[in-house]
Amino acid sequence: MKNPYPLTTRKLGDIIAHAGGAEINVARFLGQAATIADELPRHAYVVNLATSRYEFLLGLCAAIIAGQCTLLPPNRQQQTLQQLREDYADCYIFGETGVEGIAGFYADPDHYASAAAAAEIPAISRDQLCAIAFTSGSTGASTPHLKYWDTIRVGTQGNARLLGLANAEPANMLATVPPQHMWGLEMSILLPLFASIAISHEMPLFPQDVRDALAALPEPRILVSSPIHLDAFLRANIEAISINRVLSATAPLSAELAQQIETRFGATVTEVFGCSEAGTIAARSTASETLWRISDVFDLQVRDDRINVLASHLPERVVLQDRIEMVGDRKFRWLGRDQDMINIAGKRGSLAHLNYKLTRIPGVVDGVIFLPYENSKRLAGLVVAPGIEPSVILEELKQAVEPAFLPRPFYSVPMLPRQETGKLARKMVLELFASLGSKANDDAEPADNES
Amino acid sequence: MRPQSEFEQDIAQLIVESLNLEDISAADIDPDEALFGEGLGLDSIDALELALAITQKYAVQLKADDANVQEVFGSLSSLSAYVAENAP
Repeated sequence: MKNPYPLTTRKLGDIIAHAGGAEINVARFLGQAATIADELPRHAYVVNLATSRYEFLLGLCAAIIAGQCTLLPPNRQQQTLQQLREDYADCYIFGETGVEGIAGFYADPDHYASAAAAAEIPAISRDQLCAIAFTSGSTGASTPHLKYWDTIRVGTQGNARLLGLANAEPANMLATVPPQHMWGLEMSILLPLFASIAISHEMPLFPQDVRDALAALPEPRILVSSPIHLDAFLRANIEAISINRVLSATAPLSAELAQQIETRFGATVTEVFGCSEAGTIAARSTASETLWRISDVFDLQVRDDRINVLASHLPERVVLQDRIEMVGDRKFRWLGRDQDMINIAGKRGSLAHLNYKLTRIPGVVDGVIFLPYENSKRLAGLVVAPGIEPSVILEELKQAVEPAFLPRPFYSVPMLPRQETGKLARKMVLELFASLGSKANDDAEPADNES
Repeated sequence: MRPQSEFEQDIAQLIVESLNLEDISAADIDPDEALFGEGLGLDSIDALELALAITQKYAVQLKADDANVQEVFGSLSSLSAYVAENAP
């Protein structure tokens, strides 16, 4: 084996997870992972759809031990999984959900729970391909990003240093974001392998569930989440609970929300900047800082007006879809995303691609999908399709794009305010959109009358 | 589609309002059709938003045993029953 590195830098007696009401130490966890690794179907690729976070961790590490590569699809929709099956014919599904046409493997807790504790930590070859994440670029085609063991190891150890968790006292972590998503993977699955963190097996969504899962963990507590989940958590008016650290990513967090969370839960809020290609790149204390501190494993360089992310642990350089301004060598100010690129519910997409899909639908004369305001949770849309209900067009669009990208509201209009050149100014689109808002149901249908 | 009960009508109205479903009329929501995925096509962000709206209006904190929102929000009928049962 070339240049191996341990699967975890934790000690065998360290607590790595809280699952099923028990504390699980590294020895027990590795024993279970080794048992599962022996039983995995002998395939090269595995799609981990485990619905418990601890089972996801077991599945990922079992696959790594067995020399298998875990695929991280952006969602678990049929269409996405079928595409994976076409691209990776050899893949199977790990977890409770079997999907038609793809073989499934279910690790039985009654079986692996009794596995003998491991006496040593397995070593993994640094050049072993452990995972593949996917992003959709401006063309909409899915691009794979290869995560070798060294990519994961160096990146995660860099994250621990960036977040001040490298030599910190043991802490207990709860995450509301899915482990298949890069943010959830880095924090709730990989960090416990390289920093003194015990992860809760829970994957709560509703505020009361989040609070209950936090309360089940000893202090100090770390909550890994997203602005949408944090906003709901704050608005739900649940009983206060002490949280030491809150880590947020997937969408911009406002300084106001960060301050409110700090006040209400006594937490230090750290916001993380990253992407699926490179993982976490920078962090800031959003309540009091505007500049981002760059992780010590990355260098950012401006080339041809684009920001290039360079790191020895990445297979290739990454070009950011963001506009930033460097402040010295190790900090930057974020200016915004490329106009065309959007990020909804942690999923990245291209407006041009969505608009292409929309205008290809039979009966659609013209149409536009756009962000109605900065940091909106949803896209909005206007369509020119005489005689066709917007809901019918949405049905068609559903076949072609992620549900998170479906425009809502979606209004039918007689025409779009295009300029003579055919260009569509954002300002004009927003004005037309605003004029439709108040009497939604009345205005949504006049296309029929005017066509 | 069977007609909505009075309480289901209220919940349907809350769904349409809290989720900005301008193109859907509350009365058109089939009480027994899936709200998420195939049916109305709602997702976890909607589940969260709707949970907040329900908490505010009915003082019911929604809880799921896991992240599987389909179970809690299976249909208008099951969601209405859940809120009615758990309202103080």
